[in-house]
Amino acid sequence: MTKIIIAILALVLAPIAGALISGVDRRVTAWLQSRYGPPILQPFYDVLKLLGKEPMVTNTWQALCAYVYVVGAALSVVLLFTGSDLLLIFFVLTVGAVFLVMGALASPSPYSQIGGQRELLQMLAYEPLLILVFAAIAMVTGSFKVSAVFELSRPMLYDIPLMFIVLGYALTIKLRKSPFDISACHHAHQELVRGVYTEYSGPYLAMIEIAHWYEVILVLGLCGLFWSTSVVGMIVLVVLTYLAEIIVDNVTARLTWRWMLKSAVGMGVVLTIINMLWLYAQ
Amino acid sequence: MLDTLVFATVLLPFLVAAVLLVLREQNVRKVILVATAGVLILSSLAMLRGGAFILSPAPLYDSLVTLGDFVILFVVLFVGFKRKNQIIIWLTVAQILGLIWLDFFMVQDHGATPAFFADDLSLVMVLIVSIVGSLIAVYGIGYMKEHEEHLHLTKSKQPQFFFFIVLFLGAMNGLVLANNLLWMYFFWECTTLCSFMLIGHDNTEIARKNAERALWMNVLGGTAFLFGLIILQKVAGTLSLADILARGPEFAVAGGAILIPMFLLVFAGMTKAAQAPFQSWLTGAMVAPTPVSALLHSSTMVKAGVYIIVRLAPIYAGTYLSNFIALFGAFVFLATAALAAGQSNGKKVLAYSTISNLALIIACAGINTPAAITAAILLILFHAISKALLFLCVGAIEQKIGSRDIEDMRGLYARMPRTAIITIIGVMTMMLPPFGMLMAKWMAIESAQGQFLVMIMLALGSGLTVLFWCRWAGILLISPFGKPQPETQACSVRLPLVILAALAVLVSLASPFVYNGLVAPVVAMYYKAAAYTTSYGNFDSGTGVFIIYPLFILLGLGFYYAVRQAKRVTAAQIAAPYMCGEQQSVDGKPGFLGPLGQHVAAASGSYYLEQFFGENVLTKWINVVALAVLVIMLFGGAL
Repeated sequence: MTKIIIAILALVLAPIAGALISGVDRRVTAWLQSRYGPPILQPFYDVLKLLGKEPMVTNTWQALCAYVYVVGAALSVVLLFTGSDLLLIFFVLTVGAVFLVMGALASPSPYSQIGGQRELLQMLAYEPLLILVFAAIAMVTGSFKVSAVFELSRPMLYDIPLMFIVLGYALTIKLRKSPFDISACHHAHQELVRGVYTEYSGPYLAMIEIAHWYEVILVLGLCGLFWSTSVVGMIVLVVLTYLAEIIVDNVTARLTWRWMLKSAVGMGVVLTIINMLWLYAQ
Repeated sequence: MLDTLVFATVLLPFLVAAVLLVLREQNVRKVILVATAGVLILSSLAMLRGGAFILSPAPLYDSLVTLGDFVILFVVLFVGFKRKNQIIIWLTVAQILGLIWLDFFMVQDHGATPAFFADDLSLVMVLIVSIVGSLIAVYGIGYMKEHEEHLHLTKSKQPQFFFFIVLFLGAMNGLVLANNLLWMYFFWECTTLCSFMLIGHDNTEIARKNAERALWMNVLGGTAFLFGLIILQKVAGTLSLADILARGPEFAVAGGAILIPMFLLVFAGMTKAAQAPFQSWLTGAMVAPTPVSALLHSSTMVKAGVYIIVRLAPIYAGTYLSNFIALFGAFVFLATAALAAGQSNGKKVLAYSTISNLALIIACAGINTPAAITAAILLILFHAISKALLFLCVGAIEQKIGSRDIEDMRGLYARMPRTAIITIIGVMTMMLPPFGMLMAKWMAIESAQGQFLVMIMLALGSGLTVLFWCRWAGILLISPFGKPQPETQACSVRLPLVILAALAVLVSLASPFVYNGLVAPVVAMYYKAAAYTTSYGNFDSGTGVFIIYPLFILLGLGFYYAVRQAKRVTAAQIAAPYMCGEQQSVDGKPGFLGPLGQHVAAASGSYYLEQFFGENVLTKWINVVALAVLVIMLFGGAL
């Protein structure tokens, strides 16, 4: 019963928290760029406005894909907060990601097509990293269940610090932050308009924004797991990580996908091997 | 009753095949094929209901099998001479001499070993062969008619074609039910010969060349199999599979000697399952008509290879051999997934993904824990259904649009809506939760925990899998708004597609029952602890939980809602795709208004990353590494 209540709470609160974080993100980014920036509630205003617009699509598949994307993202957050299996959470997250790409590929627009292809490359870069992080967590806790993490007596960060960096890599890609904002960047209009998002508009774009809020909470939740022993520790770790993401986002330029694949996968595998060997040695 | 069922699944296909060979009347052939399919399906289900058994047929059959062995070997030898292929000739001569020695000098009492035995693993395999295989054979009726029309043949080669298809099913059923390993060897060689004849069916230059390559690689595997049996007879003193399995723990203590025949049998399995460095025979086999590819990839041939490896897993459990098999499987899984990502040819994507999935099954057998064996068996089952479906889809698409290239399938939904949707369902069941393939992959990854090299390769490979499947599914959808053209299709083509698509979804839905009824008993025979408990339809183990029904329901509801929202879209809400410039559509195809008022059609293509994943970039290295692992595997015990 408690699980159902937690599930409903996660379902409702996660997008709200996600939106607030996006709002803060925009303010901090503006501050770093010596601008004033929009109000913190701006993401809500944006999505409410989008929801009120006339729905327009190039074909019906996009409507379907936008909704399935939300369902996948929301469900993975629910699974995380109810203490389910890490790999299962990841696979459900993949459902959403796959449908987002399929929707983008369903339009013949070259921007949407390139965005879809690049999004696939981003998935190729971050998916193995996430699986490796989960495998490392399982090595520490002896189980893939999220609930097992909370039975630890000391934060995981002590045992698998390098895996936290690997997770950071995946996080940067998943949050569409520079230098890995390759498939759907606000700032690359000449290059690809908005990539995978190009053809989504109105309420469908709103759905995608909401799904993205869920995903932000999901990846930050994963970060928080690394300091599972205290709530304050979790919050501090998450805030610091997110601040680091914003700074990286603002001081780096976009890389090419070749760079992204090589650096993400290469770094990820090397760090994983070192960290695993260290775990064995302990 | 049992005699009848074994007769119906093993011997009957041999007899029907003989009838089909001499029969030239098309309509009678259709009736016979459909009836045989029905008998096979029903008897495999009845056999499943009956459960495990041991059966010794009349001594006469023993002599027939021996005779059959030599007939096949001499046919292969004849082919070797005709093609002037030294490898085939010498390997076959070695097999003939070895078999004479084994049959007439080593094995004293031929009747003592029961020919057949079945446990749940065999029964699952019989189900796969009989149901999926039969559906492919039925699909062949409509497919071959059109195939021969395309080729403008003056004399139909269908009698020969269906002879080998039906024979293949019988041989496969025999193989998975065999207890006497000499019988298994006979059926093993049967499948080699059938695949050789079917790959070369169209008799073009390239078909002959690829058939020959398939033959020498499989003859190599067959030789390893036979010499494995000779050593096994020497070491264990028996060729009864059930006996050897029962004595598994005893062998594990004795160690050493048993691992040489195990290596040879596993090696034979690897050649048959087209693992690197032998992957080229399976990718070359695509020149054959599509039902052949579907059969080779899903319910026969390659599944025989992984069957023997999984079957023997308890005997080599806990040895260095097992660890190397896990490493080898994980490496080939990753390597061939990369090759699949670099292909735009649909059939080649399917071929490499088959090899990749088989490698995953082999890796599971090598990991050799209850959870891993569960994963292996479920992978065999779900892969057979989804892969058969996808091959048949590509065949249907190719006959309609004249190409098997993924890029040519852009917007297939507009032209072949039903087939496009079924193809997408097939792709989804290969890679997304809550479908069975993914669940088995989940089990595989979780059971690899603790072997981090294996784990890293599985993680990288599974990322690649999503890339090539998602790319393919996405570009089938590009279509303008409005009703797509209605699609015409022969009934014998459409029905197998629909049935397989339904099976892919429904068997996934029933996976807790499949696990409890069919997989858990197999695992229980070999290992003390069961891998998973299924409560409320969730797969639960100490290390993880996979939620099936809530997930099916929630994703299903979400999907249903999404479909409803999509259906609400009206023509007025359709916008032209964004082109960032002056836009101009001609015949509903979007494009730009170019200089001097010319129309420039918008064109886009997918990334195939050939500089990373191209065959010419990777194949050489993959073969070198795979060969090195195999050699170390053989001599690893000495190290």
